[in-house]
Amino acid sequence: MQMVTRLFVSFALIGLAAYGGGLVTIPLIQHEIVDNRNWLNLAEMAQIVAIAQMTPGPIAINAATFTGFRLAGVVGAAVATLAVVLPSISVLGLLTPLLERAGQSRHVQKLRQGIQIGVLSLILFAVWSYGRGVIAAWPDMLLAGASFLFLVLFEARLHPIVVILAGGVVGLVVF
Amino acid sequence: MTSTRHQEQPSGAPKRERGPLAKLDDGAKNPVSLAQLFWVFFRIGLFTLGGGLAMATVMRHELVLRRRWIEDAEFMAQMSTATVVPGAIAVNMAYLQGRRLRGRAGAAAAILGTVLPSFCVILLLAWIGLPYFKHPRVAAFLKGCVVAVAGQLAFAGFTFGKRLLCDGRNIVVCLAGLTVVGVLPVHPVWAILVAGGLGYWICRGDTPSDRLDDRG
Repeated sequence: MQMVTRLFVSFALIGLAAYGGGLVTIPLIQHEIVDNRNWLNLAEMAQIVAIAQMTPGPIAINAATFTGFRLAGVVGAAVATLAVVLPSISVLGLLTPLLERAGQSRHVQKLRQGIQIGVLSLILFAVWSYGRGVIAAWPDMLLAGASFLFLVLFEARLHPIVVILAGGVVGLVVF
Repeated sequence: MTSTRHQEQPSGAPKRERGPLAKLDDGAKNPVSLAQLFWVFFRIGLFTLGGGLAMATVMRHELVLRRRWIEDAEFMAQMSTATVVPGAIAVNMAYLQGRRLRGRAGAAAAILGTVLPSFCVILLLAWIGLPYFKHPRVAAFLKGCVVAVAGQLAFAGFTFGKRLLCDGRNIVVCLAGLTVVGVLPVHPVWAILVAGGLGYWICRGDTPSDRLDDRG
């Protein structure tokens, strides 16, 4: 029971401190789970990161479910997952009415455009850092380029998951 | 406010979105059921590898291109809110969309839909699947998928960039953000704060997203 409570607190903290997408969140999770709590060792953490990236869904959720299950079974998984989602819901629940009221203001709109461009910078940087991590040789580069091209060419007609699965099939043949 | 929204488009703006997206499925006119919300976000949760920013591509496909629940510009505005607020971007997006279309219950349905696929997949994997995960064929398939996700991320950058980098000042802001996230040893959220501040200072703030807010 104590473990479940501690899981809840840890993952609520992770949920509260996680900004800017899953890849950014990984060091944060590592800090809390490996360094602070000693719940997992580094090798297990690396395994979680690999699994979180190769399974569907947000990385923070995947990490929470996996760690929770490791430490306290299905209940732990459910509690950790709930805990990591809860800060989002609370903050947005408080913020949404304010945003709706302030959204018309010229100042907010100017600020918002800057923030959108900031998100674009984050995405562009994610392309670089993620690409550097997974693209090791020419076939990888070709596959990533082909996936990008297919998405651009068949924007609305081709579901992105089709491109990803096709990448997997190519991987079966090539790797 | 303005009835001639389309005529205000700067000539450089992409024209493609205009035709198919002219008619929006507005929550008020054509209510989306909770089951539908759950199902769409379940698909988004299930069909995304690589975390929140890669999810932008899948989400845009499901919400903007396929179902027309939201316009491109407003989608990007929501993406920025979802990124600045704590928590997983996908969960934040689910909340914002769900709440916009069906209030609090909609937000709950959308979040449940986003989280459930990861939860089930991870549980299955942790329970029985780990040995299979390391099988060479499975590993090769997953590696192909993970590499293709890099293309998907690049595509998310492409769609955002096409709309936002139409102005020299915006490009300056973007480069400043890139410098912060790529060069300086600080938390990436600073890139968003710096870009937000700089954008406030130098941008004119009249991208298509602003006009969308005038819809009233």
